[in-house]
Amino acid sequence: MADRVAIVGIAQTKFAPKRADVSYGEMAYEVIEAVLRQTGLKMDEDIDNSISCSHDIWDGQTISDIGITDVIGGHLRNEEKMALDGSTAVHYGTIGILSGEFECTLLMAHTKMSQTNRNIVNNDAFEPIYTRLLGFDYTSAAALQARRYMYKYGVTPEQIARVVVKNLANAKKNPVAHQSGDFTVADVLSSPLVASPIRKLDIAPDTDGAVAMILASEKRARQITKTPVWIKGIGTCYDAYYLGDRDLAGVFALEKAAAQAYRMAGIKNPRRQIDVAEVGDDFSYQELLWMEGLGLCDRGAAGRMVESGATEIKGKLPVNPSGGLLGGVPINVYGLNRVAEAALQVMGQAGDHQVSKDVKVAVAQGHSGFCGQHQCVVVLGKE
Amino acid sequence: MVQKEQEWISIPMTVDVPYRFAAGQYLTKYLVEMRDNGKIFAVKCPRCKRVQLPPRIVCAECHVKNEEWVELAQEGTLVAFTIMYLPLTDPTTGKPHEPPFVYGSVRLDGATSVLDHFVNVEPDMEKVWVGMRMRLVLRPKEQRTGDLSDILYYEPLPGQVRPK
Repeated sequence: MADRVAIVGIAQTKFAPKRADVSYGEMAYEVIEAVLRQTGLKMDEDIDNSISCSHDIWDGQTISDIGITDVIGGHLRNEEKMALDGSTAVHYGTIGILSGEFECTLLMAHTKMSQTNRNIVNNDAFEPIYTRLLGFDYTSAAALQARRYMYKYGVTPEQIARVVVKNLANAKKNPVAHQSGDFTVADVLSSPLVASPIRKLDIAPDTDGAVAMILASEKRARQITKTPVWIKGIGTCYDAYYLGDRDLAGVFALEKAAAQAYRMAGIKNPRRQIDVAEVGDDFSYQELLWMEGLGLCDRGAAGRMVESGATEIKGKLPVNPSGGLLGGVPINVYGLNRVAEAALQVMGQAGDHQVSKDVKVAVAQGHSGFCGQHQCVVVLGKE
Repeated sequence: MVQKEQEWISIPMTVDVPYRFAAGQYLTKYLVEMRDNGKIFAVKCPRCKRVQLPPRIVCAECHVKNEEWVELAQEGTLVAFTIMYLPLTDPTTGKPHEPPFVYGSVRLDGATSVLDHFVNVEPDMEKVWVGMRMRLVLRPKEQRTGDLSDILYYEPLPGQVRPK
């Protein structure tokens, strides 16, 4: 049985509003070919398990992985599919290696949001007899969550706008980001309202792209790379399905997922021990909510922490130095991109968006379902 | 005594999600060659030499990139067929195919894969058989649209007799 699991290779497409030039299999192959070249590994000789991550309704095909078993190395071999956020592919792949069954696992998440309509697809996540008839989607549900969070903790629109300003400025330094720029709080607060209090600039844009990653057992990792990034801790947790059952300002599922991951990683004080965080800011306010759920500050204190500059790329605890999802990452790929960006920080290979402090421990968080129903936390570290 | 029947509610709903699927590099070339030049192109694996339809980026067996294109003959052999009695719907038009009709799998000469399409033959077990030689019939050039409907159907080559 393997004792430890490491990330040994990462490849990401440039995220773009529309990749009309590639089918989704061809887009997936871009990152698979790149990560194999980077690690010098061969599909047939080295990779003994593959996990893909997308979503049937997003792809417009039942069982979204069956059309790409050729590119992901699943032909006449094992291949599994996660129909959840890409961070859960890391969880599942890690378990497979820890079990001793596999030694080298290829993860790949892909989605082309340009091929369909996010509001219609996300409406299908809601119960058909119940709130689906209202036309609910992730944005409308998020607006309720944002309102509840702002009301309960006195978080201000200006504090939330600071997340957008920070992340889009960070995204300027990230070559794979799809949108970026120098915005002011006033710019954000004057962008068109979509579902109050959420405005256009508060929403991660529609994007096409893919991310691939290779996980390996300790023994294999030592042979493959000089800069393995260890998966120190991992945890997942579901909250209630119906919004009406949840306290939308609460972060119970994330707190449980984080507690599990921190226990495994030996983290007792996340504020001191974590050097950088990449979290799922599908909507700007969620960055603040998830910071609190991860224990990076007190409940209700994330807004002030962002205002203080502590989460800037040069701050005490940088959050989303990559530009986050607001910089443009496709749904389903969100979490694998979070883990990839956190791992690049640990490797010291994040390029222009490498944080200035020394990174020993990074945390990545991904979530699926409206208002973060399912949560996944991955703690990464050096030796 | 008459018992009142229990009522059960069910709600009708059409889950209608619009898509626009990118054909990508390989299928775009295939569809353009068929539409503009009336040719059928496949890819050949550099390692195992399988000639694959539809053209695709990777040979599943060898996991190498397919880069060689080969033009296929437009005649081949029927390897499987079915006579359909279900009015299956064409998802691009929403209209049903009128049953009975015949689907056939034909291995075009020179190909490793088979290509499935309609067979323009009487839906009669005496008139169609595995091993039958077939010809691909394309839509007239001016009517082609750049999708698989540019193939009208297969039709049997003339003068064939069903083997005993």
